[in-house]
Amino acid sequence: MSFRVGIDVGGTFTDLVALNSETGEIINIKVPTVTKKISRGVANALNEFLGFKRVRRITLLIHATTIATNAILGQLGLELPKAGFITTKGFRDVIEIGRQNRPELYNLFVQKPRPLIPRRYRFEVSERIGAKGEVIEPLKKSELDQVILKIKREGISTVAIGLLNSYINPKHEVDIEREIRRRVNGVFVSASYKVSPEYREYERFSSTVVNAVLMPIVSVYMEELIGEVKEIAGEISFYVMQSNGGMASALSICERPISMIESGPAAGVVASAYYGELLGLKNILSFDMGGTTAKAGIVIENRPMLTHEYEVGGRVHKGRIVKGSGYPVRFPFIDLAECSAGGGTIAWIDEGGALRVGPVSAGADPGPACYGKGGENPTVTDANLVIGRLNPNYLLGGKMKIHRELAERALKEKICAETGLSMEKAAMGIIKIANSEMAKILRIVSVERGYDPRIFNMIAFGGAGPMHACPLAEELGISRIIVPLNPGLFSALGLLTSNLSHSFSRAIMEKAHEIDVERVEEVFEGMESKGKEILVREGVQEGEIIYLREMDVRYVGQSYELTVTVPKPLTQGTLELVKEMFHEKHRSVYGYSVRGEDVEFVNARLTAIGKLGKPKLMEKEAKKPGGINVSPETIRPVFFEEADGYIDCPVYLREKLPNGFMVSGPAILEQYDTTTVVYPKWDAEIDKYGNVILKFRGNGF
Amino acid sequence: MVDLVTVEVIKGGLIYTAEEMGIALRNSSYSHNIKERMDHSCAIFDSDKRLIAQAEHIPVHLGSMGLAVKQGLSVFEGELQRGDMILFNDPYISGTHLPDITLIAPVFYRDEVIAYVANKAHHSDVGGKVPGSLAGDATELFQEGIIIPPVKFVKKGVFDREILEIIKFNVRVPDIRVGDLRAQAAANNVGINRILGLVEKYGLKNFKESTQKIMDYSERRMRNEIRKMPEGVYTAEDYLESTGVEEKIVKIKVRITINGSEINFDYTGTDPQVRGPLNAPLGVTMSGVYYTLMAVTDPTIPVNDGCYRPVELYVPRGCLMNPVKPAPVAGGNVETSQRNVDVLLKAFSKVIPGKVCAGSQGTMNNICVGGIDEENRPWAFYETLAGGMGGRPGLDGLDGVHVHMTNTMNTPIEALEKSYPLRFISYRLRDNSGGPGKWRGGCGVERSWKLISPSATLSILAERTKIPPWGLNGGEPGAKGEFYIVKRSGERVKLKSKCTVTIEKGDTFVARTPGGGGYGNPFERNPEKVLRDFLNGLVSKESARKHYGVVVRGNELDKEETMKLRQVKVLNP
Repeated sequence: MSFRVGIDVGGTFTDLVALNSETGEIINIKVPTVTKKISRGVANALNEFLGFKRVRRITLLIHATTIATNAILGQLGLELPKAGFITTKGFRDVIEIGRQNRPELYNLFVQKPRPLIPRRYRFEVSERIGAKGEVIEPLKKSELDQVILKIKREGISTVAIGLLNSYINPKHEVDIEREIRRRVNGVFVSASYKVSPEYREYERFSSTVVNAVLMPIVSVYMEELIGEVKEIAGEISFYVMQSNGGMASALSICERPISMIESGPAAGVVASAYYGELLGLKNILSFDMGGTTAKAGIVIENRPMLTHEYEVGGRVHKGRIVKGSGYPVRFPFIDLAECSAGGGTIAWIDEGGALRVGPVSAGADPGPACYGKGGENPTVTDANLVIGRLNPNYLLGGKMKIHRELAERALKEKICAETGLSMEKAAMGIIKIANSEMAKILRIVSVERGYDPRIFNMIAFGGAGPMHACPLAEELGISRIIVPLNPGLFSALGLLTSNLSHSFSRAIMEKAHEIDVERVEEVFEGMESKGKEILVREGVQEGEIIYLREMDVRYVGQSYELTVTVPKPLTQGTLELVKEMFHEKHRSVYGYSVRGEDVEFVNARLTAIGKLGKPKLMEKEAKKPGGINVSPETIRPVFFEEADGYIDCPVYLREKLPNGFMVSGPAILEQYDTTTVVYPKWDAEIDKYGNVILKFRGNGF
Repeated sequence: MVDLVTVEVIKGGLIYTAEEMGIALRNSSYSHNIKERMDHSCAIFDSDKRLIAQAEHIPVHLGSMGLAVKQGLSVFEGELQRGDMILFNDPYISGTHLPDITLIAPVFYRDEVIAYVANKAHHSDVGGKVPGSLAGDATELFQEGIIIPPVKFVKKGVFDREILEIIKFNVRVPDIRVGDLRAQAAANNVGINRILGLVEKYGLKNFKESTQKIMDYSERRMRNEIRKMPEGVYTAEDYLESTGVEEKIVKIKVRITINGSEINFDYTGTDPQVRGPLNAPLGVTMSGVYYTLMAVTDPTIPVNDGCYRPVELYVPRGCLMNPVKPAPVAGGNVETSQRNVDVLLKAFSKVIPGKVCAGSQGTMNNICVGGIDEENRPWAFYETLAGGMGGRPGLDGLDGVHVHMTNTMNTPIEALEKSYPLRFISYRLRDNSGGPGKWRGGCGVERSWKLISPSATLSILAERTKIPPWGLNGGEPGAKGEFYIVKRSGERVKLKSKCTVTIEKGDTFVARTPGGGGYGNPFERNPEKVLRDFLNGLVSKESARKHYGVVVRGNELDKEETMKLRQVKVLNP
């Protein structure tokens, strides 16, 4: 049997999910991550997988990793390479001054991230391109010669090039790039016109510098990994998940490592998009709640929503990256909002007597108090346990024993004693505060982006997602939630459902009334042929390629754009359509549009997608419609605020529930890697793939 | 009674709402000053006009907004209807200066006003004698731009056309003003909708009780912090170097009294108001006090009216920090406000020495330039420049950053060159500008550009070109700021810190901003850090030797010589 394999390397575990392309069977393997040598952990997982009898052949291997983020944050003992930066004379500190703001307002001891390239390795050359792309001062070759000498002398292994206004005319960057490649052996080069050809010099230079710094690390990593895989499994196609949700070949990743910085988290949203397609749902709110954080993303018309503003290593505040706290990278990222609310997030009482949840997490060790591994602080998991939502005796289908009395003690000592709240009120309080933080991130990716949350179906996954989904959906006015078969492994499944994808962008900078439509059409076509070239090289048939055109548009005078889809071909007529779409979008995001006003087209964006055959999921045996009676395993009192007390809830084992089974909430569905809490006012139903579908009933209980 | 959890949820919801208002304002605005630099602030008030939540925007706006809301709305008592918004910029009411236009909207739930949302945005021109409306030589408020008293600018959701026309006729780039005003209204609408959402979800009674509790909570935490400070009376003074009209130094003096959980700030002894535009309306003085208090206590306390309840403030009427109309005030908000923080921090350095940094750049370096371009279109551009932050116990001051009362961003050079007839020559850190100390003061920046259109008007409003930012605890002062024009002929013309001049095509304007003061004895600085600064070109070999007693040979430390040099200093201080 041949399998498609996804391998997700996280901080603690390396997950392998394999899908039998013919039968739809899924095999899951979890091994510890080998921090010192990541490829070792991957090899262990692969070896275990190949030990299965029915495994014959791996057709495709897809990989997700956090190595880029870890490198930038100085984790895992990864040392940054000696990097150099070449820029226009007078501007070598642009990447250090940044946007001149400080990331915190009132903190006198605030810190800024250290520049990735120290000042002494930032070199200047005389040259100047004007704002219209004209050459004001030619590149001074003698100065470049001096710089190249220094690069050689200092043993710099990777070079970033960023010149002012190169986004509109890259001539001098091209010249420098060529000279360096020609004269410095084995050096890595990143030029800003290639990495991020858009205006705003700081963000462009920063993206280029991050790319340059990552190139040597990622190249070595990929080489090692591919070598290891080849030894174990022979020659197989090897792909990497990018932050935009598409896959790319290892070679493309080595050239543009900034494209895979958020490789892991992207997979969850990709899985949601795939699931939506499978179930015939176009708009999905993807809600992932794990051990330490919760993440939200959206899928519109079967496509994950992307963002272009991102800072690597940045601090998150209220679900948003704090400007100036990290290193900006301009590359499409799946738009994720994140908050510190996971099963292991700790609840505490602050100095002023307020109940707080997070940001500190008990992690996996010691973990929640109920794990009995020495954790003394109450966590979200403990709160769920004491009010009956979790099985009081064990988790992981009996593999892991838990201790309700420890959870109670932690709550009593740390919360009830300080506030006078009853145990139930304290536990409910923790859950509600965590929920309100999560509601915010769900709102950031939906409402704030101009989408009415009521158009979405929610997919709830991660170990803790299905426990908290109902009240969140209710708050946002969402009436349908899907809990997939294996919520804890859902993200890794995303690796198996992704397409090959490459994103490009070019600055246009033209106003609607003076735009040269033919030129823009040519720009799009140029990007298309570039996308095609790469995809064909990666083995995709021409007929399996889809091109997605978009433009960033704004009113003349504004600085922030809205991205709208662009039809093909672009003509005077279709341009009117694009304008109309922009006005509409502006109105839905900001509450007004100004039809008489001139609009400006800032960037053209193209995504070339190489479609891969999608895996099919196995359908459960069809049962007669109308619902099937299964008696609950047990009845357990569970606290619900709606009742202001405990309600006796039926508890079911999910794997025993047949297709077509239905139950009205409140009810509890337990399974190996999660617990689904069906709230009052909600109904649960099992569909033909074994998913739980939660529907809002609304009429009390 | 509302439960603890609902309070927490509403508190988070309100802060988040204020931030969302800010995003809406930025994203839909038209001027570089707002969309790129984010020179705007948003806040939410309860029905008694007390601050209940704010976003982390610009301290000088935020601290003055409470006063603005109280004073600006007083004439409309009982006259507001759903969909109305009140607009004004009179600094004697709004608390800052004319370019900051305030827009306030009541939040109606059924027929009751349950809250107010407000925002303040710095418009890059509001008329007056110079483009950018920050004339360093103004002697009356009337020269600083159009003065708008509180007016009902939005009536039932519609802009008042006549008021808008009056504004448009009095400013230099009217279309951009209109776009920015529209963005301000959009921000308030976002705020209103979110608050109504909260009220609908949790009920009006719970909402009201929660807002009280939110303020009580902050008050409790602030009182705890003040109680930790040693009781006593602490004074400090610092000086402005000129008033823009008179070349004389002006004293700001503060006396802080700590008594249990109460704290009193008394400005008696501060010089009388001045003829030039450095007067600071009461709102500015208050915002400096509030900012400093948050900074030296616990910046994680949610900022609202409760934080300020333990504070008593006395500022004699007619003095620099509480002037009488129509004294000019354009620079009070941007310059005097920074000196006010310097004075306050100096006083606090005697109360809680481990929690205070040395003097920071102490100015915002306001640069306005404008004129008529080659295609006969008027243009006006405003920016403020970063500088060095003071050294801190245990940390160097940040290099090239905005400090204290402002936190606006720079405008990308590529955006400026596209819009204005300017060509940038440099944007870099200034070497040898950080004040020597065990913990070095941050470096200032150099930013320069060449004018490529016919002549333009350039105004500077800045400070610290004569009296440098002070060091602390044995640290030395940071470098003073400098401004000059390099003429086409190569001649270099020095400019004063407050001036308005004509700049000709082909001339280059150079701004070099102050460095922060050092903290602690520079001879105790780790020599490796001095070497790193030397290798990075921020400290010269000479300065390493002279100020730090560190000897560098080639690219290496000379440890032996360094030790000798440092011992000599200890023996003969």
